[in-house]
Amino acid sequence: MTSILKADDIQDSSGNNIINENANTITIGASGDTITIPSGATLSNLGTASGFGITEADMWRITTEFQGSVGPITANWERCDEDTFEKIGTGMSVSSGYWTFPTTGLYYVNWKATFRLNGETQYAYVHINTTANNSSYTERAISFGMIPNISANAYCHGMCDLFINVTDTANDKLYFGTNVQNSSTYTLGNSGSNYANATFIRLAGSQ
Amino acid sequence: MDINGRPNHIEDYLAQLHLGQWFGWSDSKNKMYVNLIIHDDSKSKPTEQECTDGLATMQSDFDTKKTNNANNRTSGKAKLKTGEALTDAEVEALFG
Repeated sequence: MTSILKADDIQDSSGNNIINENANTITIGASGDTITIPSGATLSNLGTASGFGITEADMWRITTEFQGSVGPITANWERCDEDTFEKIGTGMSVSSGYWTFPTTGLYYVNWKATFRLNGETQYAYVHINTTANNSSYTERAISFGMIPNISANAYCHGMCDLFINVTDTANDKLYFGTNVQNSSTYTLGNSGSNYANATFIRLAGSQ
Repeated sequence: MDINGRPNHIEDYLAQLHLGQWFGWSDSKNKMYVNLIIHDDSKSKPTEQECTDGLATMQSDFDTKKTNNANNRTSGKAKLKTGEALTDAEVEALFG
């Protein structure tokens, strides 16, 4: 005969929560606990699971072109806003070119810029600088392009990326920049397409 | 600016006035003069007429340069066939 145990609350011998049911919400464990799926076991989701997988993903771009080297890139940022775009989670915030993460975690960050010049620039590069103390920034990613003189407008791009382990959103930050040998080089910007854009994806909790 | 580099918007004129991100748009979907904003207080805001005239000059310069380049390529090729000396402009048009 099948036995049925009816209870809303199961606790360990010390009174700590193991399983609790309240108003159709079931809570397993408590903050600080580790819930282990044993080897060989399967955790399957046949409904809706929130908080799993990618919880933060965002993309921003520069709307207006500029000439010369700039870092941090302080102005003319916009979150991508075409019909096919949507962010996941809270999203990034930026102030004076310095980017703040919405929550702690391990993030993948990508920064791309397109350059144009009628002339020659030996280099045109993008870079990402990070800080762990909200003060001292160090260049952590860089990618070079160059444009030869072909007596007409020519283009190149730089794209660099990094992981940043955000353990403190008040102190772990970054900024983006461009640097060009020929100061007449333009970094392109556009409000309808990603000529120069930054991508942020939270991969996991902070490590 | 179109894909060939011909200026086609006052942003092309503004971007070459000063280095850096000295200007932007209050509505980046409507890049009209009325929406022009200046980020750098050390830079003055050009008038709408200056923007319009500046763009027209850039377009004229671009077209003239393109025409001259095409002419120099044509004349340069002809001189190469006959062994005549090339001008500097023809050398640049042919070989960069």
